[in-house]
Amino acid sequence: MKPLYLAIITLLCAVTALAAPASAAAADIAVVSSSLDPPVLMKGDTGTLTVAIQNTGAETVAVRSARLYGSGVVPLSEPYPSVGEVGAGNSKTFTFTVRADGGEGTFYPVFVLDFRDGAGSLRYPVPVQVENTPLSASVVAKPDAFAAGRTAEITVRVGNPRPNAASGVQVIPQGTGFTATPTGGFIGGLEPDGSGTVVFNLTPAAETDVTFRVVWRNGINTHTTDLVLPVAFGEDKRQADPVITNVEVTPEPGGYRVVGDVMNAGLESARSVLVTPGAPATPVDPFRVYVVGTLDPDDISTFEVTFEADAGVEEVPLVVEYRDDDGNRYTATRMVGLGGTTAAPLNEREDEFPVIGLVVVVLVALGIAGAIYYSWKRT
Amino acid sequence: MDTGFLRVLLNPGRFFEARMQDEPSLKIPALIALAIGLIGVVPAVLMANITTAMLPAEMQGLGVLITIFSAAVAFIGGFLAWIIYGFVFYLVSMFFKGEGDLKRTVEFTGYGLLPQVFGGIIGTYFSYQLLSGLNVPPMTSPEQIAEFSESLVNILTTDPLAQIAGLASILFLIWSANIWVFGMKYARNLSTRDAALTVGIPVGLYILYTFITFAGWL
Repeated sequence: MKPLYLAIITLLCAVTALAAPASAAAADIAVVSSSLDPPVLMKGDTGTLTVAIQNTGAETVAVRSARLYGSGVVPLSEPYPSVGEVGAGNSKTFTFTVRADGGEGTFYPVFVLDFRDGAGSLRYPVPVQVENTPLSASVVAKPDAFAAGRTAEITVRVGNPRPNAASGVQVIPQGTGFTATPTGGFIGGLEPDGSGTVVFNLTPAAETDVTFRVVWRNGINTHTTDLVLPVAFGEDKRQADPVITNVEVTPEPGGYRVVGDVMNAGLESARSVLVTPGAPATPVDPFRVYVVGTLDPDDISTFEVTFEADAGVEEVPLVVEYRDDDGNRYTATRMVGLGGTTAAPLNEREDEFPVIGLVVVVLVALGIAGAIYYSWKRT
Repeated sequence: MDTGFLRVLLNPGRFFEARMQDEPSLKIPALIALAIGLIGVVPAVLMANITTAMLPAEMQGLGVLITIFSAAVAFIGGFLAWIIYGFVFYLVSMFFKGEGDLKRTVEFTGYGLLPQVFGGIIGTYFSYQLLSGLNVPPMTSPEQIAEFSESLVNILTTDPLAQIAGLASILFLIWSANIWVFGMKYARNLSTRDAALTVGIPVGLYILYTFITFAGWL
């Protein structure tokens, strides 16, 4: 060992030996606990750090001030400039407001207790954990495809991967082009590694992005996490699928009569099913529209419609209208050819029986009868 | 009342009796047949239009030819009916030992066609009502045209308007027959009974045929 080191150590021992009798009471003050609320901060969070001390000795200890300092986690509140005496066996707590200004990790702001009468000071590094991990949100249930006006059930699950509890957790759908019920879901507190779910009934009006905003508090600090759900319209694999088959077109005076079968080839029921001819055909009585009603999957029903069509029209659409369980309206169209049919329809006359023609013939008959009678009478 | 066409229609006996004093002339009967032919052109053109509409697009050019041909046939039809009726009456009256010039028979037959002018006008009106409301879909194959034609014939024979038109034509034919009875009586020097049979047999057969057609027995 070098002579210089020996001299330093010797000097320190001497100072310690001389000071020890004067600070015997101060040495009885000890930090017995420290706590932080919230227990784990996020960057920028404000928390409350509480340090408790106790006089474990037999004499009263005079304390001049208490303060906190450090970097990364900085105190916002003022220090305690005049603490006073701590009686034997008594405890005292000091509360500081701190803010996490640094990055992630564990920081050690120092709690300093200054004693009176040159008794020195107590320094106690308080560990403060800072972690920026937010709550996680995910869509755990949604339909295969969205459709305009069709209500879809969306289930959002919020999990807490943080080491401390989150409070006041709620999920709020945000965006345009849709309506959601409820307008917000409240989960409440989430313990570490805990989760909660919220179910929304989402009815999009157009293709859009729905943002589920998760709002929660870490202590007094409010945080948000966004979960974006793209709503793109597509064909639901389970939806009802009315199919028109076995079509027979029959020309008749005044138009055409189409009979056929409509079958639900989908996996969901088609409700309020209507079959009607579309433009350029003009529906006419007696079957302007045919009401089929509900078609369960694999159900089949006959239909019959009557319509007029101008000369030159080669095919007309048959429109199947139906609704799903939510009342959303859908249409399916099937073209029916007229060119391949033997059609000789007459335009519908206002009066089915030509009364005027009959009257003319009766008058003609009377006139001719009179003329014949007159000719024989004059002979 | 006793002069001109009204005399033919209302007092044919006196009219033909007076005509016997003059030489046979086919001029006025030809004008009557001409009028009948011209009136008949209208429904013929309507039918030709329907026929044209049935044709495929690449054959639409034939439409003009069809229309001209139909109009010509209808126009000649008036003269044809006149001549046929005249010859038939002449032949039938031979069974009743009728005496008289063929030209006179044909002349009086032509006068007897006068009611057909009115019948033609009314028939044309009915035909227009019936045919103008007909929709003809485009057809691409001869089978479709054949089926359409069959369907068209079915409609034209079963439609109430068509049946009324047929009834009207029969009524005017009866009126013509009444005039022909008097005409044959003088032209072929027959008794009233024989003249009635001369006219009644062929006309009756024709009316029977018409009824059978409209009843759908053929």
